[in-house]
Amino acid sequence: MAEYSNPDVLVSTDWVAEHLDDPNIVIVESNEDILLYDTGHIPNAVKVDWQNELQDQLVRDYVNKDDFERLMSEKGISNDHTVVFYGDRSNWWACYAFWTFKVLGHEKCLIMNGGRQKWVDEERTLTKEVAERDTTDYKVPGLNESIRAFRDDVLDHLGSNNPLIDVRSPKEFSGELTHMEAYPQEGCLRGGHVPTAKNVPWARAANEDGTFKSADELEAIYKSEVGLKEGDDVVAYCRIGERSSHTWFVLTYLLGFQNVRNYDGSWTEWGNLVRAPIEKP
Amino acid sequence: MCILFYFLRQSKRLKFNIMNKLEEIIEQFSDADFQETLELLLDYSEDLPAIPEKFSGELNKEANRVPECETPVYVWVDINNNIVDIYADVAPESPTVKGLVSILVTAFNGVSPEEVESAPQDLLTRLGLAQKLGTRRMFGLGAVYHRIKNEVKNKAILQ
Repeated sequence: MAEYSNPDVLVSTDWVAEHLDDPNIVIVESNEDILLYDTGHIPNAVKVDWQNELQDQLVRDYVNKDDFERLMSEKGISNDHTVVFYGDRSNWWACYAFWTFKVLGHEKCLIMNGGRQKWVDEERTLTKEVAERDTTDYKVPGLNESIRAFRDDVLDHLGSNNPLIDVRSPKEFSGELTHMEAYPQEGCLRGGHVPTAKNVPWARAANEDGTFKSADELEAIYKSEVGLKEGDDVVAYCRIGERSSHTWFVLTYLLGFQNVRNYDGSWTEWGNLVRAPIEKP
Repeated sequence: MCILFYFLRQSKRLKFNIMNKLEEIIEQFSDADFQETLELLLDYSEDLPAIPEKFSGELNKEANRVPECETPVYVWVDINNNIVDIYADVAPESPTVKGLVSILVTAFNGVSPEEVESAPQDLLTRLGLAQKLGTRRMFGLGAVYHRIKNEVKNKAILQ
């Protein structure tokens, strides 16, 4: 039975329950729904909203260094803190926040396997009480954009035969839908996928209870079936970069790939880009 | 002629009623800062009445699902004596959607279908939700709003 490449990056709900008051840990909840944390959350957990706090409010981008420093300081997160992320929808948004924190240079990040769903299903304590945290003087040590792909990188990728993984649903991949089934929020003018991309829906890496599949199961999907190799230069994309951050996490930390990038522009950029090549069956 | 005046007067009165209810809700939100807006929405989501027994048998029927929304939202519209009664069921994992549905139930229940139809198209903007929750969240919420209005309209036509 194979082991995850970096098993230490995942912690269990039991582990989190034992570390609620650990001063070296900050538990961060990141959800699609902005109110979900407020209905009850893990004691001492801090809320980080992907849209209002991690994204720039004017330009389509993430917050800049100064804004991230301000955000982290206000949340009471220091450079030395280990941040444990959890969230809704099989940890999509936790992986998204994890990836964004990594881009913005935060070093110690972990994921609580199973996310919010598992914690709730296990009937563990939830509270509406927001813990007071002392502010910090956070400093971004340096950005890490090597895990982020931009549209020109994807274009270059096409010419070099490097693997491109489209983690959207089969209907989005085929171009039948330009959004996830029942998610009409982000429109695209064209349907289909980036030429050469292979379709591996993100959810294949998740169990019903929101946890990640075992290393053996993940290897069977990404290595045996899709043919990816650990040294490959891989770019993953979806619709806005959130589902692909889940796959980025799986390939990088659970399977030990060294060169995986998340294309956060994803289909909402590519499917609207003039003259971008598109493949459709 | 008398009848016509009666209807005109009625429709003015009715419009005044729903606008009163909506204005009251809009005022609540316009006075609220970001955190207060979340708290208000959360209060509304917690106040959404449970589905009455008579509907519980059909809870998961796709016919009552709002298909445009990512969250499972089920809506039943009842119209008796030209008075609207809406019941809705929304997953607890989606309190934002649940909060909006609860606002609509509060505003629309007890008024006529015509009044529901007269509710402003840009209600969500007037509530200031787009500015506070982020524009990307508005599409799904907008879909819920228009679906509920349409459900009321369609039900009224069938009667």
